[in-house]
Amino acid sequence: MNWDAALPLFVLASSLLPGLVIFFLPEERVATRTSLNLAGAVLKLMLVGVMIWGVFYGHHYMIRLPMLPGLDLVLRADPLSMLFVVLSSVLWLVTTVYAIGYLEGSPNRSRFFGFFSLCVTATVGVALAGNLITFLLFYELLTLVTYPLIVHRGTEVARRAGRTYLIYTIAGGALLLIGTAWLYILTGTLDFTARGFLSALDESHHPALIIIFVLLIAGLGVKAALIPLHGWLPQAMVAPAPVSALLHAVAVVKAGAFGIVRVVYDVYGIQFAASLGVALPLAIVAAVTIIYGSVRALFQDDLKRRLAFSTVSQISYIVLGIAIVGPIATVGGLVHLVHQGVMKITLFFCAGNLAETLGIHKVSEMNGVGRRMPWTMVAFTIGAFGMIGAPPLAGFISKWHLGLGALDAGQGWVIFILAGSSLLNAGYFLPILYAAWFRAPPDTWPAERFFGRRETAWALLAPPVLTALLTVATGLLASAPFSPLQWARFITTLEYAP
Amino acid sequence: MNTTLSAILLLSVPGCSLLLAFPALHSRLPCPWSCYVALLPALVLLAVPTVVSLDLPWLLLGSGLGIGGASRWLLAMSVVVWASAATLLHAPAGQPEDSRFTTFFMLSLAGNLGVILATDLVGFFAFSTLMGYSFYGLLVNAGNRAARRAGRVYLGLLILADLALFEALLIAAATAGDLNGDLSFGGVRQAMAQSATPGLYLSMVLVGFALKAGAWPLHFWLPPAFRSARLAVALLLGGVPVAIGLLGAVRWLPLGEIALPDLGLIIQGLGVVAMLYAIMAGLMRAQRKTLPAYAAIVATGLFVTALGVGLADPAVWNQYENQAHFFIVFLGPGLAVLTVGTGWWKERNPYSDAPAKQDDDSAPWFERWPGAVARWAGQMGFDTLPRLRAAWLAEVGCLRPIRAWQRSLDRSERFLRRWSLAITLFLLFGMVVAFVGALSWSG
Repeated sequence: MNWDAALPLFVLASSLLPGLVIFFLPEERVATRTSLNLAGAVLKLMLVGVMIWGVFYGHHYMIRLPMLPGLDLVLRADPLSMLFVVLSSVLWLVTTVYAIGYLEGSPNRSRFFGFFSLCVTATVGVALAGNLITFLLFYELLTLVTYPLIVHRGTEVARRAGRTYLIYTIAGGALLLIGTAWLYILTGTLDFTARGFLSALDESHHPALIIIFVLLIAGLGVKAALIPLHGWLPQAMVAPAPVSALLHAVAVVKAGAFGIVRVVYDVYGIQFAASLGVALPLAIVAAVTIIYGSVRALFQDDLKRRLAFSTVSQISYIVLGIAIVGPIATVGGLVHLVHQGVMKITLFFCAGNLAETLGIHKVSEMNGVGRRMPWTMVAFTIGAFGMIGAPPLAGFISKWHLGLGALDAGQGWVIFILAGSSLLNAGYFLPILYAAWFRAPPDTWPAERFFGRRETAWALLAPPVLTALLTVATGLLASAPFSPLQWARFITTLEYAP
Repeated sequence: MNTTLSAILLLSVPGCSLLLAFPALHSRLPCPWSCYVALLPALVLLAVPTVVSLDLPWLLLGSGLGIGGASRWLLAMSVVVWASAATLLHAPAGQPEDSRFTTFFMLSLAGNLGVILATDLVGFFAFSTLMGYSFYGLLVNAGNRAARRAGRVYLGLLILADLALFEALLIAAATAGDLNGDLSFGGVRQAMAQSATPGLYLSMVLVGFALKAGAWPLHFWLPPAFRSARLAVALLLGGVPVAIGLLGAVRWLPLGEIALPDLGLIIQGLGVVAMLYAIMAGLMRAQRKTLPAYAAIVATGLFVTALGVGLADPAVWNQYENQAHFFIVFLGPGLAVLTVGTGWWKERNPYSDAPAKQDDDSAPWFERWPGAVARWAGQMGFDTLPRLRAAWLAEVGCLRPIRAWQRSLDRSERFLRRWSLAITLFLLFGMVVAFVGALSWSG
């Protein structure tokens, strides 16, 4: 096995092996567990750095392992997979630091960090999957390893949320499996191919291809929280803050959205999907989800629940960008995969800080919190304005490309969806900022903890500040080389090449 | 001038204020001095006699900064107005210094200076957004009910303005050609002048900047803002949001490139009515503190009339463009002097005003409805206590369906959660039946 074939395996192993070792560590081995976690995260980042450099210069990293007759387990690094791998690796490192601080002194940390590492392994597997069956394997693995994280606290509410999550995602997985099997029967291959591999099929198969598309999108739409398959997501916000951050920004919802990207571009091909007439209905579902999620967020007093409905809305920007047939909208959808992750993880980190430091869980408890926790609330403010789409933050770059792409594709109605969504985003984020910065703080906080002169523990404060800076940087330096925007343009060039 | 030096100088003009927005930095200097330090790079730049510009292809979508001609005068005016406001920037008697106020002051200053130096639409939009939202922090800083209400109206209209300008930006980029189309002011002017359908772009720009500048009939944030703001902030109102709104209209509109006689006539009419309105409303006002607001509306009305003339006849605009810029340059200081003057008059003649009424009860009848909207927004969008909001909704019978709608959404989500597996199987079964049906129908 040469280096090019081994590298994708090494990237997977960099989180898989520490995760497996951590399971067997006693609770009190804090230093060993922390070292393993951080070493794995840093090593993965370095390996991904090498891989992204190679991919940019046309190097092929691929390994094909026979699994079943005619079906191989394929791991492959292409520009699209690298977008998701880099996002996962960077945010995993940050979330690991945050989780170490967040769970300090709490029980079952070895179990938590073990599954935490497996969760990232599955996510990276989803990203590197070179065919639909490999994707499906890691996608289902992600479902199974995320469940223990959601129910980690062991409360009745957490268990109920976990049950709901399992029912939704297993049902979605079943749809995906049926669609995949049907597709294999029809074509005899499941390898992801730039611009798809179905357009050559005889026209008599088109009705079947439409139904398969619906099955695949419904299966993936559960994790991507497309309406009406989103019900598990607001419930799953009972999980600890690092898990919520991972669910909403890196792992689960992103895996669903990424899967939709793969199906539309590398299974069907965007032009063929449009000719089948399935792209427009997908865009409409995404648009309805965007507005519905925002409207629901507007009326939530629980901070994490408000953020969860915001995720329902924001993830659909990615789907919308994918479903609008045109290169600029594709850039918008792809770049939002990264931007939404960076912005939403900031918001969830901040929500976790408020809960851990002051016992604040509701928006109505946030009066004057900006004076008590200024750095946390500055990070939250940046994340919120990014979500609204204010320049020069990351969200503006996404919305700009989505809007321009819609005009370019002759789908002007999308502009109204974007405008309405921005208005609703402002409607549910600005009251939080107003309360935090301009209302008088209460005499006492619900459950205040003190950390000396700092507003909270450094391990809780550094991650949101860093991701807030990333939110600014990815927007402000959008046109710099190797920015997410430039990488999304690079991918689009390949997807729309003649 | 050396390229590196000019780059450092141009970037430091907004950059210095941005850095000093951090409390850890500005709290090391006594109050006005941190503001003076923030203005230093602008002063140095003003001392450079040549035209300085800088392309920043890595910034945002490819941006640039530059100074020369009219923007030099605008920068000078801004330095004077901000320095004057900084001099008055002491905390109200009996209150400690508020670091947040200085932070918002610095952010707003950075946005203002950046807007003047921006050489393209996206840069202008980004800096004006920074300026606009930071200015909200200055407006509501007084903390009383009137300030909060003024802030709400301002914020609501600012969001609408930014939405309109974002749409205009998209149209401009789409018209300019492709993703990397030239979005410099000159490039967009030419592209829009050659466009067959510039109407939507022009409408969005006019509405967006009218909202930002407080031009009639979209001026509703201006009188309450003048009424409730501290003197330092009131001083800035004319020179910052109003002047920058007018500057935006001049830079974004294809003036001097396109002849639109009908639209120009309508805009001239609006400008004239605005002036008449503001004079009438100003005379009816009981409180002198809002007098500068109506003076600003008269001034913007006059400027809107000039814009109308410019849109109707490009040659006239090209002939008088410099005068239009000078109008903007001196609007800020002019309104600032008026604001200080009325403040001085009020101090000398404390009983000369009619008794100050709370809220906007003292406004003319035709201006009260935005207050009602603000109150509604206060309940709906800004009150973070759903219990109170629900109570309010319960009082308003016609809005009860909203609560019912919310309940039905909650119910439907619960239903979906409970029956998700069954629904999935049912859908699956339906699809198989549909497929078999389709196959048998086609076969």
